[in-house]
Amino acid sequence: MTPDDQISDSDQQLGRRLAAELPRYTAPASLRIAIVQATEPTASRRPAWLSPLLAAAATAMVLALFMLPVLPRLQPADPVDQIVRAVVNEHSRALMWGSRQSQVIPAALPWLQEQSGIGLSSAFAGDDRLSFVSAEPVYLLRQRGLAVHYRDSDGHLVTYIALPAADLKVPDRARVQIERFRPALVKDSGFVAWVWRQRDVACFLVSDMVSADDLERFKDYFVRVRTATEPALAY
Amino acid sequence: MADADFQRDALQHLNALYNFAMYLTRNPPEADDLVQETYLRALRFSHRFQPGTHLRAWLFQILRNTFLTFYRLREREAAIAEDGVPDWDTPMFHDTPLDEGVAMEAHTDLERAMRRLPEEFRTVLLLAEVEGMPLEEVARVMACPVGTVKSRIFRAKERLRGLLKDYEKK
Repeated sequence: MTPDDQISDSDQQLGRRLAAELPRYTAPASLRIAIVQATEPTASRRPAWLSPLLAAAATAMVLALFMLPVLPRLQPADPVDQIVRAVVNEHSRALMWGSRQSQVIPAALPWLQEQSGIGLSSAFAGDDRLSFVSAEPVYLLRQRGLAVHYRDSDGHLVTYIALPAADLKVPDRARVQIERFRPALVKDSGFVAWVWRQRDVACFLVSDMVSADDLERFKDYFVRVRTATEPALAY
Repeated sequence: MADADFQRDALQHLNALYNFAMYLTRNPPEADDLVQETYLRALRFSHRFQPGTHLRAWLFQILRNTFLTFYRLREREAAIAEDGVPDWDTPMFHDTPLDEGVAMEAHTDLERAMRRLPEEFRTVLLLAEVEGMPLEEVARVMACPVGTVKSRIFRAKERLRGLLKDYEKK
């Protein structure tokens, strides 16, 4: 017997009884109101001006991202600050990624002079306090120069950078007397730099030694580098 | 179909859905929640509804699926928590226990017997006999072949008659 055959008169009676006698529950009015409120079309809840405003903001954001590489950057107005910023950037690059092409002084001096346009008649090659790491040519603010990296016993990276300095004026207000020298101390982006001139070459010694204790040691490093290094324009 | 039109058409079936929810949950606050959740889901997925097809069957299907997903899961978790035995070890078409806890009172033997039927049997009877749905629509709601629906109706009525006889004897 198939299910079709089994749906007999008795089944039909029971079906009719179910339809007639089984209580039917009616939805309370509060439920209808709650559903209407909860399912209101979302568009009507949003103010008419919101969609075009959001679209305009999104377009502006995309344009700004697209134009970001060509937008003017915030640069320090002072030329010394500008060059110190570039020097500090080069130091932090070396700190993060190491030197591009590590070379050992004095074997690399002729090559370094040829590449950087700055000759070193003598150079600080490291001692018991400050060990030589590498030397490399650099290109900062559209000028060729050289960078020599040292590291002290505490792991501080100290970068010496020499650049042509035709019109660089070392700021008097920042000068510090160290033995017979008077370099300027300039701080930028959490780093500190000694700035001085040796004839036509602008010299910088950069490190992160910004605390009072570190600064005393940094003065000592300056004296060591300054007395042993003699840069000059090669051409 | 626009949201407003869809909402208006869907709300025409509110009472039928609420009645169905009451027989599934046996509890007015839970029936409220179930129906409201059904409408929220229906509105959220209204783009999937094909105009011209049976909105009523689609709504009943959403309601039943929601019930099976949330309410059965909760019952199953409660069963495991109480005696440590997984609820799914019990036979599929078992009768609902007499003790219904906080469930609302049944007024007639017929209603009491309906409540004791397994959900699969209760649903086919409610949809086919009470709501008067064609078997094809019932099959769609229950996601099974029409033959299975016929078979379940037959077995459900058999079970219902047995329960009614028990009540008459008492």
